[in-house]
Amino acid sequence: MTLYVAKRLALGLLVVVGVLILTFVIARVVPGDPAASWVGPHATPQELAKAHHDLGLDKSVPRQVVDYLHGIVVGDWGVSIHTKHSVLSDLASRAPASVELVVAALLIALALGIPLGLASARWRGRAPDLLVRFAAVAGVSMPVFWLALILQLIFFQKLGILPVAGQYDPNLDYTSPLAAHTHMAVVDALVEGNWPVLWSALQHLVLPAVVVAAYPLGVIARMVRASVLETLGEEHVRMVRALGFPERAVFWRFGLKPALNPIVAITALVFAYSLANTFLVEAIFDWPGLGSYVAASTQSLDTPAIIGVTLLIAIVYVVSNLIVDIVQAFLDPRIRLS
Amino acid sequence: MTEVAALPLVARRRALTRALRRNPLLLSGALIAFLLVVVAVFAPLIAPHPADAGTATNPIESLLPPSWHHLFGTDAVGRDLLSRVVFGARISLRIAGLVLASSILIGVPLGLAAGYFGGWIDSVIMRVTDVFLAFPALLLSLALAAVLTPSVGNATIAIAVTWWPWYARLARGQAASVAGRPFIEGARALGVPPVRTLLRHVLPNSITPVIVQASLDVGGIILTAAALSFLGLGAQDPTPEWGLMVSQGQSYFTTQWWLVTFPGAAILVAALAFNLLGDGLREVLDPRRIERR
Amino acid sequence: MHRLVLVAAAAAVVLTPFALGATSAATTGTFTYGTYTDVMVGWDPSTSYSNEILAMQNMYETLTRYDSRAKKIKPLLATSVAKSKDGKTWTFTLRKGVTFHTGRPMTAQAAKAAIARTMKLHQGAAYIWDAVKSIATPNPSTLVFHLKYPAPLDLISSADYAAYIYDTKAAPAKQLPKWFSAAHDAGTGPYTIDKYAKGQEVEVRLKSYPKYWGGWNGGHYTRVVYRVIPQATTSAQLLRAGEISFAERLTPQLRDSFKSDKNVTVTSQTSFQNLLAMMNTASGPLADKTVRRAIAYGLDYQGIVASLHGGGTLSHGVIPPGLLGHSDSITGYPHDPKKATALLKSKGFGPGGKKLNLTLTYTQGDTDQQLVATLIKSNLAGLNINVDARPLAWPTQWDKAKSADKSKRQDILVFYWWPDYADPYSWFINLYHTEKTPYFNLSYFSNPRIDKMIDKAPSLTATNRAKADALYQTLQKQLLQDAPSVPLYDQAYQRTMLKSVGGFVENPAYPNVVFAYDLHPAA
Repeated sequence: MTLYVAKRLALGLLVVVGVLILTFVIARVVPGDPAASWVGPHATPQELAKAHHDLGLDKSVPRQVVDYLHGIVVGDWGVSIHTKHSVLSDLASRAPASVELVVAALLIALALGIPLGLASARWRGRAPDLLVRFAAVAGVSMPVFWLALILQLIFFQKLGILPVAGQYDPNLDYTSPLAAHTHMAVVDALVEGNWPVLWSALQHLVLPAVVVAAYPLGVIARMVRASVLETLGEEHVRMVRALGFPERAVFWRFGLKPALNPIVAITALVFAYSLANTFLVEAIFDWPGLGSYVAASTQSLDTPAIIGVTLLIAIVYVVSNLIVDIVQAFLDPRIRLS
Repeated sequence: MTEVAALPLVARRRALTRALRRNPLLLSGALIAFLLVVVAVFAPLIAPHPADAGTATNPIESLLPPSWHHLFGTDAVGRDLLSRVVFGARISLRIAGLVLASSILIGVPLGLAAGYFGGWIDSVIMRVTDVFLAFPALLLSLALAAVLTPSVGNATIAIAVTWWPWYARLARGQAASVAGRPFIEGARALGVPPVRTLLRHVLPNSITPVIVQASLDVGGIILTAAALSFLGLGAQDPTPEWGLMVSQGQSYFTTQWWLVTFPGAAILVAALAFNLLGDGLREVLDPRRIERR
Repeated sequence: MHRLVLVAAAAAVVLTPFALGATSAATTGTFTYGTYTDVMVGWDPSTSYSNEILAMQNMYETLTRYDSRAKKIKPLLATSVAKSKDGKTWTFTLRKGVTFHTGRPMTAQAAKAAIARTMKLHQGAAYIWDAVKSIATPNPSTLVFHLKYPAPLDLISSADYAAYIYDTKAAPAKQLPKWFSAAHDAGTGPYTIDKYAKGQEVEVRLKSYPKYWGGWNGGHYTRVVYRVIPQATTSAQLLRAGEISFAERLTPQLRDSFKSDKNVTVTSQTSFQNLLAMMNTASGPLADKTVRRAIAYGLDYQGIVASLHGGGTLSHGVIPPGLLGHSDSITGYPHDPKKATALLKSKGFGPGGKKLNLTLTYTQGDTDQQLVATLIKSNLAGLNINVDARPLAWPTQWDKAKSADKSKRQDILVFYWWPDYADPYSWFINLYHTEKTPYFNLSYFSNPRIDKMIDKAPSLTATNRAKADALYQTLQKQLLQDAPSVPLYDQAYQRTMLKSVGGFVENPAYPNVVFAYDLHPAA
């Protein structure tokens, strides 16, 4: 077990180093003039020369890589051209809102995806199955930015419910000010017992969360269906069935439990994907997270900011992958041996 | 991880026909996908105002609602939206085709080599794919597209760079599963050049899973390309790219609903069709594989 | 493990219905201004020369204010202005009992120090004071300007930029720029900074300054909030929900959608603002005047105006209506593709010739500019010119235009211009006067003859307006010949606001500014 964990950790670390090198290549090798893309278009010749020096472009490439890795480790992720702040501090202030959004989306996806997947497996090949499978494929085929606009059109424009911009109504800052502990409005409001803000924050959260949920919902529903069907097809379940147990009992007793195991894994993996999907959704809802940060950065040709976000999400992805693998190894001894 | 029962070709074909009849989702996916290809190929004949897919503008007729003359209405500079959506199919499918072709051309040989030779070659290639797969596809292509000048070509390159590792993995699995078989060992002992063994015996086995994977990927690539254009990192006006059209219509979507509705629906329909097709194919040809994307 | 997940999922299901409900109403007493791009580009009242005007005109005050409706100069910090016969000595009597937000009294010495600092830094719109030779302060409430040459100082002192009176002692002189950029203000205006969050949606919050000389009796908004909403559609939705009180700019279509809304008012008025396409006269293919003229002939101005659906009118030269020097007899370039083709052909370009590739930048988030960019691209495509049009956030667009490396600059830059005081001089001194390092002369245009004519304009305006009018008309005609830029259209200001916002008067001399103190909120 220890050996497995150690091996897995070493592999994870290797991938992280690879990720860093790949972002290095994107930031420093792909652009024709990395220094210019690092300081943005307005730089004076002096600033440009300084960037040239700071980025170590006058040094050998391996040396640059080492310096770059060192910078990342000690927290020097560059300075955003757009906000003029350190990229790392920008990320820290933007990440909570995105996490709040993605967690809400995943909760929605799980709440709907699991029952749908189960229904689909229960009535395999019949109308409910067909419907759920279609919905699941539609979920992963959905251009989320379009879904965001269409939902705004329906829920705000036509029905006149659900707000469309920001984490909560900023006018509330005057009547019921909210202290920012986590920068997740819902959490902060809960902690403070600030009901007006909580109410407003939940309203603001619904539409973007539903939009971000489309993709994980599809993935989770498919996953649950597949793993339930797989279990039900196994030898021991067939035996039970042959013994004359009613189908419903077989389903709930044997199909369900093992099917839920992979959900933990898939949810963790889908987390990073959903973070990337917020790039397309947050700007539409003026949601103050990483997504609108990226959208604003692409418009101001802000290379350090974009690389910073890329790095952050890739690391989140690798780490969540790692955790999933190790947790699963604990739960399922077969993995350790393979 | 990705093993496909090597059914004989005839049986596979028969299974396919049967599946098409039994699986309405696969059937509808295949039909719509075929229709999309037809629309893309004959776009100049289908589009009522082909010039509007290019640089033509007609500001006097801007923002007209859907009518018999303009079935999808017109955009802010008076271009016929239907024509642009029709031509958009060309762009999306061309991007998907180019990305898949380059991913397969890069990924499959690397994967075959990794699986066949094993050892350090395998380790190196697989660790490299691990690194690429540590990024959600949209994220890596976005970072790349952001440092390149925005254009359809560069968006295609950016997506291809994020896509090839999947094919390397797939081909490696295939190669590794055959590499240990007696006839391959025999060929090795007889001194048959590895390239020949790979082409004769290993590659054919990989074709089915690659086709399944490719049909599954078309939808994802179309979505990623549209997303890049939506963010301003892909196609530029007047290219009738669906994602770009949604982005341009954003300022009008509450008052002129057709501007975002139709191009966005086109993205959804295209991605949906290919995903249904891919899903169905996978179910028929490769029922055990679980996708992790 | 999965039990936890299920509990969380159940919680989400339970919580979701709570989230469905009506939206909030605006908080009374707060005026929320919805704009589409960052407000506080700069914080120093001497050098600020950008979008921060929206907030600064509410934090700072000038000696006088121009009333565009009455076409008259009104008192503000100065209660009266007198000029000598030769127009070279101007005496301002200052209002008594005015204090800066720092607590110090606003005296003639303080006002002099502020103007002197602006003149010394000589950035942004500081050129407006160029005529001033010396300033005297015979007593704490009298400010006397001695000029080198006659200039309309009562108008200049009402300028929208570079004319703020502020406390130069707010911090030690050397640290003042830093003090300002840490989001401080030192004005006399009715509002002072409450909170600033760079890059956030709710960017600036102002609160009332309790000791404001005008007092707080009667209905006034006590808080002013600037909220950055890049998408016009979102602005419209927020306005409908009452989350913002005022939308700076919506699309014509969105405005029309409010016509039947009982809670919303729509206003429209001609402005002093026009949209210009600045062509790169220093490097690239447009350095050639013939090519620039060909482009000017190649654009469909009528089509642009048509696509705006009332948002703009055809330009007659560089100066918009309502200002000195404007004349409907100046017609500009007609849309004449044949002429354009002929001109291009003479340089080897055009249909059948070499393909001409041009880059064009415009401001991200501005729907009108996006439209114009598409139309320009379409018009020029017919002339075998490929335009690569890129939307950029304004600071990026501007930075790119000011690049030290000429090859990084654009060929065509689309942006708005408006005057610094109700006078056309601003266009000429900023956009067409030779600049060593580019600031707003983003055509990089330089013509000594035109420079000389521009230099004559201010004193002529103070002494002989008829002659100044003629000079400006000649200048415009000469600029049409040289074609460093093409005016694309004159903007109409169209505002959308809640009915509960009372007393709004558009004052194009202070573009896009809402003087929040002058509004009276309905109870």
